[in-house]
This record gives sequence, C-alpha cells and structure tokens, in this order.
Amino acid sequence: MIQKKICMVGVYATGKTSLVRQFVHAKFSDKYLSTVGVKIDRKPVQVRDQDVNLLLWDLEGRDGVQDVQTSYLRGAAGAIYVADGTRHETVVQVYELRDLVQRTVGEIPEVLALNKVDLADQWTVTKGDRADLARHPWHVFDTSAKTGDGVEAAFHWLAAAMVGAP
Amino acid sequence: MIELRVRGRTDRGLVREENEDHYFIGILRKSVDVIETNLEVQDAVRELGRLDAHLLVVADGVGGVSGGRRASQSAVFSLATFIGRTAACHYDPNVQQENEFLERLEHAIRYAHEVVSSLSTPGRGPATTLTMAMIIGRRVYIAHVGDSRAYVRSRGRLRQITRDQTMAAMLEDEGVDTKAAARLHHVLASAVGAMEMTPTIGLIDLDPGDVLLLCTDGLTKHVPDEAIAEMLASSPDPGPICDRLVEAALDGGGSDNVTVVVARADA
Repeated sequence: MIQKKICMVGVYATGKTSLVRQFVHAKFSDKYLSTVGVKIDRKPVQVRDQDVNLLLWDLEGRDGVQDVQTSYLRGAAGAIYVADGTRHETVVQVYELRDLVQRTVGEIPEVLALNKVDLADQWTVTKGDRADLARHPWHVFDTSAKTGDGVEAAFHWLAAAMVGAP
Repeated sequence: MIELRVRGRTDRGLVREENEDHYFIGILRKSVDVIETNLEVQDAVRELGRLDAHLLVVADGVGGVSGGRRASQSAVFSLATFIGRTAACHYDPNVQQENEFLERLEHAIRYAHEVVSSLSTPGRGPATTLTMAMIIGRRVYIAHVGDSRAYVRSRGRLRQITRDQTMAAMLEDEGVDTKAAARLHHVLASAVGAMEMTPTIGLIDLDPGDVLLLCTDGLTKHVPDEAIAEMLASSPDPGPICDRLVEAALDGGGSDNVTVVVARADA
C-alpha cells in the first residue's frame, strides 16, 4: 500500500488536532489540549481504486511561524495549513507557514483549511482575504472540526492530489 | 549529536503489598567499531560507532496482587524482546524507513498486548499501562497506552507529552460533567491486555539540556507538575533526580507503586 505523510501545520489553537480527530475517529471535543511535539495518526483511504495509507503528522502549534520545527516537515508529501476563521491573524500567518514548508520540502500538494466555519457569527475572513488566498496554488476548504463540514473533502482532495489523481 | 544519560527507580510505596510496576532501560546497538582505517573522513568514521538507540519503558500493572505484576512484567519483557529482534536502529533514517519504524512501534505494543492477553481470558485478566520512548539521535518516538505519562522539561517549562487514557479523560473529552467524570479518574479506558487497547504514537525532538521523564501514576497522584519541574532541573545527573522524585511521592503519601525513568540530553 502506498504511504503518504501529511503535515498539519498552523499556529496554536487553530484546530489541527480536532480536524485529525474528526477525520480519523469522527469525534469532536470542545476541550483544548495543546499538542506537544507531533502526534501521529494513520488513516487508510481509497483514491479511485488505489489504497493509500495517510500518515497524519499533527504538528505542535506554537505562537509564531518562526517556532515551527522544520525537522518535523521532512518527507511530507502533502500539507494542510490550518487557520482559525475567527482569528484573522491566523489567516494572515498561513502565507509565512507556506513559505517555511516550501523552503523545507519544496513544492507539494497543499490544502488550506479555514476552520471553525460553524462559528459563522464570529467569522473574520473577508472577500478580500478570499481573493488573496485564491492567488495561491493551495486548495481552500471551509471546515468545521465540530460539525465535520468540509473535513472529509479536504483530506480526500489532498490524498488524490498526492497520488496524482485530483 | 546528543549525549544521553538515563536512570530509573521504582518503589513499592507505603501502602501496597507488592510492586506491580516495571521499568526497562536499554541500548540497542547497530554500530561499527572502527579498529584501524586510513580514511580521511574522521568525523564520519567516528559516527559509525554511535549508531545506538535508547529504549525506555515504564508499565503499571493492574488487576489483582500478582496479576498486575505479571502483566506489567510480561508487557515490558515482550516489548523489549520484540523491539530488540525487529527494530533496526538507524542513524539517519529516510522518510520511508521512519514510517516503517513508526509502524513497528505500534506492532511492538500490539505484540505485548497479545502476550498479556494470553495470560488469561481476554479482557478478564490482568492488564497494564505501557509508556515507552525510543530515542534515536535527538528524536524521541513515544508509544503510549493507559495513564502512565511522558513529560519533557525544555527551556524551563514542563510539558506533558502523553494524554491519560482514563474514563475520566474520555468523558471530559466528550463534554460530560467533569465532577462526575472525576470519579472515574482511576479507571483505564485503554490498557495492554484489556478489552480496549488503543496505542497512541508521537514524537518530539530533544535539545541539549532537555529532560525526559517517564513515570507511573504513583508519582503524579502525589507530586504536582510544578514540583516535578523543579526536581527535573535539580541536578545534571538523572540518578539523584530519580531519587528525589520517588522520595517526593513517598512523602506525599506513597499510596501506590511509583516508578520513574529520567533521561537528560546534553550536547
């Protein structure tokens, strides 16, 4: 079976662990526990008729982009950048995160998860932001780790892109 | 390259009749001892002799006086045996090797689970927690089941790496009333040899000066994190640190067996 490493990248409390938990275990918790180091989960998926084992590296989210440990990124075949749609600064920070990932592992398939879309009344992503985001080659998904909206779609799109069948 | 010093201690405590905890500290070697050479790449040659990995394990048996002890002993021994036989330790693993290695860690835990389960009727016999760290270079691979813990003290800050797999933690995650859940803090939601066994796998990179701690709940039920953090910084030698941690657990009541393994990374 093909194995592909995906790195979940984002600053703290954007919902990286919750997205993985929703995707792998179909569960959500409101309780926030920060990840220390990297938590690794596996999830087999099918892309067309091909079995792909996704290795999900949930990287510790720190205060700033400069704190992301690049040693954890090595060998990533895909990246999911996670921003919290209710915290505008995290949307801005994904550009720097992308630069860091690109410098470390080169061009790889990428997804941007604008997370916490269930909190629509607190949403801070503007039309201008979306226009800026659209100028980058990542595929943008509005996600909610709480309701599951967009979660399967984001991971499956990335899986397909990693095996060359988007 | 990081130099590692590791020590461990275990104590029956002041209440329990028997020590049902076990620990293990080992070095896996796959190295080349250079006898003579005229190679000019001396640094690379020196590295050939340092292809070792440290394996650290703590386990806390549950399920009756001798049953718990047998479970933790079987789990630690079978885990160490499995890893000793199958895990090639590597100096600079490529991504594919690292992915395979992570799978092997999980297989090692599942093998220990099978061994402990075979001691009696599955799900009705003794069980054990199991927290292990495999350290290769500066990278620590951690596999975990139950409510023993792994901590790291880095840049003056203590952080818990593992999450307790207890019914209380699980119910809190599900949003259940925390007071009700707290009553189940001692009930394991996942354990080696139990009906439910869900290992978690993770990793962390150590920097010089960092201290890694594996411990059973005989420590954490009596010694708060702040005190643990202070003790981990109290000496460059992990031996005295272990002594202080165990002593603090006994001073705090010693209601359970207590086991600690401390690894200090130096440049």
